[in-house]
Amino acid sequence: MALRGGRGYQWIRRTVLGLSVLSVVGTPFLAARFSDRTWPAGVFVGATGAARALGVELLDPLMALGVALSGGARPALLAAALPVLLLVVVLGRFFCGWLCPYLPLLAVSNAVRWAFGRLGVPTLDLRLPAWLRFFVLGAVLGGSAALGTQLAALVYPPALIARSAWRLAFGFGVGGGATVVAAVWLFDTTISRAGFCRSLCPGGALFSLVGARSPVRVHRVAAACTDCTVCDVVCNLGQRPMTDRLDDGCERCGRCVAACPTGALSFGGRRP
Amino acid sequence: MLALGAGALGGLFLRRPRASAAELRPPGALPPGAFERACIGCFRCAEVCPTRAIRFPAGAGLDAAHPFLELRESACVLCMECTEVCPTGALARIAPRPETVAAEVRIGTPVLDRRACLPWSGRGVCRLCAYVCPIGSPAVELVGPQLAPLFHAEGCVGCGLCEEACPDEARAIRIVPAGGPR
Repeated sequence: MALRGGRGYQWIRRTVLGLSVLSVVGTPFLAARFSDRTWPAGVFVGATGAARALGVELLDPLMALGVALSGGARPALLAAALPVLLLVVVLGRFFCGWLCPYLPLLAVSNAVRWAFGRLGVPTLDLRLPAWLRFFVLGAVLGGSAALGTQLAALVYPPALIARSAWRLAFGFGVGGGATVVAAVWLFDTTISRAGFCRSLCPGGALFSLVGARSPVRVHRVAAACTDCTVCDVVCNLGQRPMTDRLDDGCERCGRCVAACPTGALSFGGRRP
Repeated sequence: MLALGAGALGGLFLRRPRASAAELRPPGALPPGAFERACIGCFRCAEVCPTRAIRFPAGAGLDAAHPFLELRESACVLCMECTEVCPTGALARIAPRPETVAAEVRIGTPVLDRRACLPWSGRGVCRLCAYVCPIGSPAVELVGPQLAPLFHAEGCVGCGLCEEACPDEARAIRIVPAGGPR
């Protein structure tokens, strides 16, 4: 199975991402608007990171792992994290490209970087080592156990964005979590393109580890490739499809596949 | 893997700056300490709370992701919805039956300032707290010629309906965390 061109793929991805962002930003506002119980909490509660949709529990594996390591392991916790975990095993770090509610903000960040470039404003693009995110993941999990509080809830953008949206919807102002998200955004915009996602995000690190052996990868037909570098340039996460240098940092967003002018890149199962 | 281990090792040496002041947690909350370890700040409890009694701190500190109750502004009506939606068990599930709620919910304990209380200070007949109490005599009794309220901490669920109802002129009731003074 191979998905060439990838434009249809982009539409699917954007639709899934849109639903995810809507669940994070939209449902708090719906819940606030219909607080007289006409909002059916039985249909959807929570946000992408900790949702219950039609009675099915879904939990961000990073959160589930944090609680489990703090002595709160329960079968229900594992069961709720399992659907996303299984998808990660198959699809690698897809959460980052398909579900993360930070992505729209990252798109704006990239647009600002692009505009700065056009205006001749110099922007930094510091390349922090990608392994730094594993260090951050370890520190978040170890620190959560040591401090007796879930640090992921304080530094992980999907969780922060969800909580800020809820605060805003219920009229409490965005709160301190939004400051952390703003700092991440400023870092990505002025210091390092998608630098947080690439080198610092504990969730991305966990998904990289779990999905390291994912069979779904970007393939390049060398004969069709003109070495134009477009794929390397569109990648947010520093992957280099043009020279077949893709690792567990790939979020399977398929931007490179869609951008390739000659169709040399395709998305598919293991190398035929 | 090396980085992961090094990070975990570094993280394990983190220390809480100071013991955090006990807060009023939603019903069914695990004991202080266990609750903070299990809560992921997903806000589902607050999302379903019909009275919006469940709040989150405004800051970005270590407690920023932990829900607390602002009973004086809006009390808990003991619907137990929050315990039903909690994904991690930080709020243990409690059935919304009167006898279960009366036996298992202990949000906090009531403290009465008798000098501020209208009947105790001889300034009025009031009795609002006793009228709004969903538990009744096991939690609050009216005693003496003034029919002044007498609270029983062991029977009180700490829902705060009395604290919310207590007239502005008095503001004599405060629900405090059971673990110790706030």
